[in-house]
Amino acid sequence: MTSFFKRVIVYSTLLLLSLGPVALFTGNANASGQKPYQTPYQTTRKNAGTPNSSIVKKDKNGMVITYGNSAILYKAPPSALDAIGEALFMQNCASCHGTKANGVPANGVSGAYPNLVGLGPATIDFWIDSGRMPATNPRAVEAPRRFARLTPSQALAVSAWVNSLDPSLPDIPTPNLTNANVADGAALFALNCAACHTIEGDGDALANSTFAPSLRDIPAYQVVEAIRTGPGNMPRFTGNLSDYQVRDIVKYVTTEIQHPNNPGGLGLGGLGPVAEGFVALLLGVGLLALIGFWVGERE
Amino acid sequence: MSIDVPNTKRARAQAKGPFGSVGKVLDELDDRLGVAKGGRTFMDKIFPDHWSFMLGEIALYSFVILLVTGVFLTLYYIPSQDLVTYHGTYLPLDGMRVTEAYASTVNMSFAVRAGLLMRQMHHWSCDIFVGAIVVHMARVFFTGAFRKPRELNWSIGLTLLTLAIINGFLGYSLPDDLISGTGIRIAYSIVLAIPLVGTYIGFWLFGGNFPGTMIIPRFFILHVLIVPGIMIALVGAHLFLLVRQKHTQFPGKGRTEKNVVGSPMFPVFMAKTTGFLFVIAGITALLGAFAQINPIWQFGPYEASRISYAVQPDLYMAFLDGALRIWPSWSFHSFGHTIPFEVTVPALILPGLIFGLCYMWPTLERLFTKDNELHNLLDRPINRPKRTAAGVSMGVFITVLFFASSTDVIANFFHVSLEEVLIAMRVLVIISPIIAYPITYRICKELQHTPGSGKRKTANVVTRSEDGEYIATSSPVYVDDAHHGLAAVEVPRFISAAPDEESETSGTRVVER
Amino acid sequence: MSDRHEERTPVHLQGLSPNDPHLQPASKNPQQVERVIAVCFVLGLVLVAAFGACFWINAQPWKLGATLGGGMTFLGIGLVAWGKYLMPQGPFVEDRHALANSKDDRDAFAASIVQRGGDVVKRRKLLGGLLGSGLGVFTVVAMFPLLRSLGPLPKKTLDHTDWKKGSYVVDSTGRRVKAGDLAVGSIVTVYPEGTQNSDRGQAVDQTVLIRISNENFTTMKGRENWGPKGYLAYSKLCTHLGCPVGLYEQQLQVLVCPCHQSTFNVLNGAVPEFGPAPRPLPQLALYIDASGNLRAQNDYDQPVGPGFWERS
Repeated sequence: MTSFFKRVIVYSTLLLLSLGPVALFTGNANASGQKPYQTPYQTTRKNAGTPNSSIVKKDKNGMVITYGNSAILYKAPPSALDAIGEALFMQNCASCHGTKANGVPANGVSGAYPNLVGLGPATIDFWIDSGRMPATNPRAVEAPRRFARLTPSQALAVSAWVNSLDPSLPDIPTPNLTNANVADGAALFALNCAACHTIEGDGDALANSTFAPSLRDIPAYQVVEAIRTGPGNMPRFTGNLSDYQVRDIVKYVTTEIQHPNNPGGLGLGGLGPVAEGFVALLLGVGLLALIGFWVGERE
Repeated sequence: MSIDVPNTKRARAQAKGPFGSVGKVLDELDDRLGVAKGGRTFMDKIFPDHWSFMLGEIALYSFVILLVTGVFLTLYYIPSQDLVTYHGTYLPLDGMRVTEAYASTVNMSFAVRAGLLMRQMHHWSCDIFVGAIVVHMARVFFTGAFRKPRELNWSIGLTLLTLAIINGFLGYSLPDDLISGTGIRIAYSIVLAIPLVGTYIGFWLFGGNFPGTMIIPRFFILHVLIVPGIMIALVGAHLFLLVRQKHTQFPGKGRTEKNVVGSPMFPVFMAKTTGFLFVIAGITALLGAFAQINPIWQFGPYEASRISYAVQPDLYMAFLDGALRIWPSWSFHSFGHTIPFEVTVPALILPGLIFGLCYMWPTLERLFTKDNELHNLLDRPINRPKRTAAGVSMGVFITVLFFASSTDVIANFFHVSLEEVLIAMRVLVIISPIIAYPITYRICKELQHTPGSGKRKTANVVTRSEDGEYIATSSPVYVDDAHHGLAAVEVPRFISAAPDEESETSGTRVVER
Repeated sequence: MSDRHEERTPVHLQGLSPNDPHLQPASKNPQQVERVIAVCFVLGLVLVAAFGACFWINAQPWKLGATLGGGMTFLGIGLVAWGKYLMPQGPFVEDRHALANSKDDRDAFAASIVQRGGDVVKRRKLLGGLLGSGLGVFTVVAMFPLLRSLGPLPKKTLDHTDWKKGSYVVDSTGRRVKAGDLAVGSIVTVYPEGTQNSDRGQAVDQTVLIRISNENFTTMKGRENWGPKGYLAYSKLCTHLGCPVGLYEQQLQVLVCPCHQSTFNVLNGAVPEFGPAPRPLPQLALYIDASGNLRAQNDYDQPVGPGFWERS
């Protein structure tokens, strides 16, 4: 009986296991294939939401200088910086984005690189200020955050010049966090942001080799810029979040996310049950088993 | 009763008998319960000394810590899904509409003395509990301790593991925070995936469509009363069988199938095991002090439309989550019905198969080996290469599933593509057990043929004789390695004291007959 | 007392002489070990007392844990060391008596059950049968209060959501979403008006509203006018296990489920591209009314969320 049953069990197990590799090729037809519509860094222009604020200041030419409210004040970059910005742009950006900032380099074809005209100062400012631009690898799927190559004032100058080509919104924000409601911010964060950045703000791997960055060291105005402009794969939050709501989110991010007080001890990198599991198995069970070795063994 | 008892120290002592007031209490007890003989045997009970026999104790004492800290938590927890407005000490939640369950858990963490410590200790000891059960189970498996006559205790242990996992999930769900709420949502969907009756079970369990209003109170009573009640009974049965069948031991000097060699229950084992309980409680408290676990105030209350990325269940559920992630999207959909195989197989059939195999293993092994003898001496794992290889295979399989539950975290940590990690996991989960089996088998076979393996090798001293001949002589064993233990003796019924003026003969004790 | 004392008979029991090596401590240097243990106990005692003090003054959790944990650990280590190094080293042996009883005992036991019990039942077959069927009926009847009262029957509730013809699309604050509200590349979680604060609205009706362009967008054949002005609405419930599919990548145009990474292509009707989800996310047909409000054309054309048996 045994030999027969043994054989049945062995063969059926082998059969089952050999079915396994089939699993590798299901359900991910396009997983690694390049998508036709995927162009790096592409963002849509001229649709960055209208100023939903009460106070708009314009200069004599009808250009917006500032707009905003008590929560966030958006400032257009001063046009006096245009010349400096142009020089900086030609040095640092034109090799890819072209001398007209339209995404067509001198000897290249249209569409290879993003067209920057009409994106609004906040977009330009965010990409440069967060160190993503100038990019280390211009053909990569993503430009990760790193140490900024241009100073904030240089970034401002570049955005001033690009904006002068076709003035658009949003302008560069300055949030005022004094009256922010951190509880509302927490709720909005959980609804809108946590799905990618995780509830502890650590970021995670997304589809097709993209990554949601950690929110740990990001200054408040850049948080607003990211929310309002939707850099890269991040969706843009415009008409669906008021300036007051954005301010609340920023308050929550810059306080509780960036500086959690972790009353329970070490935060374990905010990795949740993964890190907890390792600590429990290694420090808990492992250490106790070692102590158990001392307890149980005779000398 | 003598009337004139001289009121001297010695007379009072004499009146109490040779064992003082303790003896008197024991006498009274024995009059009513007849415990002297059994108690005596119990005090002399021998526990074999081996480090691996301590693994089960880690589990047992973690369970004790769970019970103690759990009782503390129930004093402050409110099992209700009614909405309240939170006005507590944690400002980022101030004014938020949350369930009472969530509010009370946050309050317990911030406003109750030692509340956060107790919560964290409870959670850490839960993780340690399940981890220790698995390690203990692996020890029992690889040493063949589950063989006749101990199959029943193996099954009880497995049932305890199952209940521990279930109760861990129930307890994890109680705070009603964002992460655990997502877990409940997934559990509901898994219940829905049961063919034919899934929707009914789901609606009855949750009192309606998800989220319902009943699930937190129901989970609460299951978590604090019903499941732990069953577990306490099973732990009792587990220990009773251990005492009744006596502990297994490794073969060694003077150890046979018919005896147990080791330390007596009282006082040696009692001291060591109680000390170990303290150490386990201490380590758990230190973890609770310095390592934050499950910071539900950061997660916020559960709302069905909110979600966080990087959501994993606790480690004991991780293998299920891993299976759900890597199983392909094969759904059955025909004849007006849907069987969601993409859920049914990894979440219901797979754990059924794994646990079923574990329950069946002692029987299967008996069928295959035709070994129907009683076994009290343990196997060295290398001497049972097939069993060891099978166990390692299963362990590797579960471990890959365990890691598969954190594909996103792995992808983020090593900065590789999520899809590649997932496909790698699909490959590994099939390949690794297949590879692990023959490798383990070979290693066991090789070790079998290496006498003295695992011990330190002694140097061969090569000397050159006058004729130029080389002679190798092995040097003696290291002093530390030499076995110089004493032969075991029975626990002395009485240790003869040096004769003093009180006792007539040494080695004589007055006992009640 | 004295009467009882006289009943005691002195008996000689086997013993070991106090010099027997089995009774010696395992440690070679007991005095030193004793000192170490004493230090452990003192430390443990001090720390446990400190725990009391910390508790009294309501110190931070880590102080409570450090004192309690340190105290317990030191006491435990001391106690283990006491048992291990200073108590009789043994080893001692205990006989393992066979648990099995003699053949006679076993037979007597089996006979008492099989024969005695069998006789009783066989002699009164009618009674046995009646009792058995009574208990059987009770088991069946007991299922009703045990199961049926736990919750309602599912009926068709899983097949429908609260989206109806003409439902206004509102966000989590209850504000109606207008056609000009969202920029391209924006996402917002929406509900049919009136359910945004209810459990059912949150759990069943939740929908993601994505604006992918400024022109009307058709995701697949038969959905020609479902996406006015580039607004697409998909059920937020993952078809795998019902997690909210809140992760939108605006350049890849995919929705990802944060739980198990099922990836849905927004442009072609949320067909799953990767991961364990078996079906596309159901799409909600939208229209823009005369005053610019986004509204639903109808309920979803199929059940939302994970699969279940009755789903046709």
